[in-house]
Amino acid sequence: MSPVTTGFSHGNRGVGIRNHQLILPSVVCSTHVARRIAEAVKGVTFAHQHGCGIIGEDVAGIDNFFIQLADHPNVNSVLVIALGCETIQGQELAAKLLQSNESTQYRIIQESGGVEGTVAAGVKAAGELNDAYPATSTEIQHLRVGIDLARPVKELVALEKLLHDAGYEVITSQSEFSSAESFTRLAQEKAHIIVSFPDDSQPASGFPLIPVINVASSGFLHQAITGDFDIQESNLIAEILPLIAQVAAGSQTVAERNKSGEIRAPRVVRSV
Amino acid sequence: MSSELRAFKRDNGQWGLRNHVLILPLHSALSATARAIADGSHGAVAISHDWSGEIDNDLPRIIFTFSGYAANPNNFAVVFLTVGSDNESEIIASAQALGLKRFTNVALPEIGSMEGLRVKAIEIANQYCADAAQEKRVPAPWSALVLGLECGGSDALSGITANPALGVASDRLVELGATSVLGETTEILGAEHLLAARAIDPEVGKRIVAMVSRYEASINYEGIDIRGAQPSRGNIEGGLSTLEEKSLGAAKKAGNAPLTGVLEFGERPKTSGLYFMDTPGHDIEQLAGFGAGHINIVVFTSGRGTPTGSAIMPTIKVSTNTPMYEAIPDLIDLDAGTIADGIETLAQVGDRIFNEILAVANGQETKAELGGHHEFSLSRMYKTTVETTERFINAH
Repeated sequence: MSPVTTGFSHGNRGVGIRNHQLILPSVVCSTHVARRIAEAVKGVTFAHQHGCGIIGEDVAGIDNFFIQLADHPNVNSVLVIALGCETIQGQELAAKLLQSNESTQYRIIQESGGVEGTVAAGVKAAGELNDAYPATSTEIQHLRVGIDLARPVKELVALEKLLHDAGYEVITSQSEFSSAESFTRLAQEKAHIIVSFPDDSQPASGFPLIPVINVASSGFLHQAITGDFDIQESNLIAEILPLIAQVAAGSQTVAERNKSGEIRAPRVVRSV
Repeated sequence: MSSELRAFKRDNGQWGLRNHVLILPLHSALSATARAIADGSHGAVAISHDWSGEIDNDLPRIIFTFSGYAANPNNFAVVFLTVGSDNESEIIASAQALGLKRFTNVALPEIGSMEGLRVKAIEIANQYCADAAQEKRVPAPWSALVLGLECGGSDALSGITANPALGVASDRLVELGATSVLGETTEILGAEHLLAARAIDPEVGKRIVAMVSRYEASINYEGIDIRGAQPSRGNIEGGLSTLEEKSLGAAKKAGNAPLTGVLEFGERPKTSGLYFMDTPGHDIEQLAGFGAGHINIVVFTSGRGTPTGSAIMPTIKVSTNTPMYEAIPDLIDLDAGTIADGIETLAQVGDRIFNEILAVANGQETKAELGGHHEFSLSRMYKTTVETTERFINAH
């Protein structure tokens, strides 16, 4: 049993610790419009460079990447913003999302009167989704904690045991250098919260849908920017459990406050 | 010799058609802060991207893109945001080698926090904005104008209306002594022989044919036939049937001028004349290549319509058909659909495009500039996946 944590019931997406409305641009060309809508409705969005100019395995790969983000338990509803002529067709993406979650809508720039027309239509659609799917509190049975391991951590085993004994599910993802790849994997595995150990040369970073707790190493860069981190590695074992409990209960991480969180979907073929 | 063109003369002899203060984050984690800095400043612009300093096969291309983009003559000054890596230092040094003179590197480890970085960079950006406001446009030769030619969301009218009309304007500019650069290798597959036949010498002709073969090979290497993936679904809905048909129409943007030379992605043209640059058809990556190649103004023809713009290059959008122009008026600057409707001739629309290029070059803002469209994408040649390992520990 996890410690009792209150979360939000999100239908087939599961129970989340955030109640995000995702404004999902299906192509790089619609990211600016998506941002304007998200700012107006206090939704979550992110810039990316995908959705068009892709071929081969990447078409399904990027499609699945978007689907997995949209199906994340921290998401309440999804508004897809499409351009209209891109490879990843917004209405088809929305149709796939609708198969598992009714709380999905889409708008297409080329069919909604351009930028201003789409911003207006998108703000209206986002409002309709919020009205139809209000936040519903419920208890989280299995809080899933992702560990992003981009540097060696001496107390990893102790940390995993601590979290496990506290009743959490734990997924550890090891990456070579940048935490971005691990964040993607952990999002796909539906981690509610991420404890990130960035490489010594990397700053703290975030992910749009998931609170990321950044743990500072004793290295030069991390010690120069301690304010961007949530916790020092030297205090890890003593402080991590109460910190996770606070963040799960709604307290924002530094990365959430800074709104940092560019995402990079994995690609296997060059763009065309 | 004299033209009606007025531009900003840079210390290095290049000419800018805009006077931007660019906030350039050299790490993805600084992208959100870069946007906040631009929003909080008196007119600076920012780009965001997804590069976290990865050291892989694409690193030289990424360094080349950022350094060229920073040194684009449309930038009055650049505020680099860095985390203190060697590759960031190399980007800044390369930008200096390309002629960038006025810049500040705001380094996160020296400032101590993201919030401190934001405050400090706004202060610096505002000083640059104040200095930029003192700069005056002066009469410039036509060679100051470096035009990029691009199309996206093509339809059956692209090769009949907007593209050949743009070709008329491009030819006129080249004849006057300007530079015009056709991009998008995807868009000339099957039409490369026509461009090769116009090359100023056989070597340039051979290079463009080789560039297209190289491009096809880089796709075929992955076991994919590009000719099976193009035209795109949006193109087919717009009435195009084959890649060759699309390419023949796309190449018309470059008019009939002789082909002076061939450029690698992000390479700067050294002389006036018509050039071809090897870029992907992905509109935003292609614009990044143009920016890195010191192009200072772009005309973008579209059959389906797009909001796309650039942080640093004014991007004039021309519709191929009137219904689209009327349906999404805030995305499109000019309509070339009048040719299909018999209202105007190709020459008349060519004139309108020429006049619009001149007006925008002299400071008139495009729809994309007014809307604040600052899309940016890095162009990568290699896969971005790296090996990760993971393990699960399930709760009781």
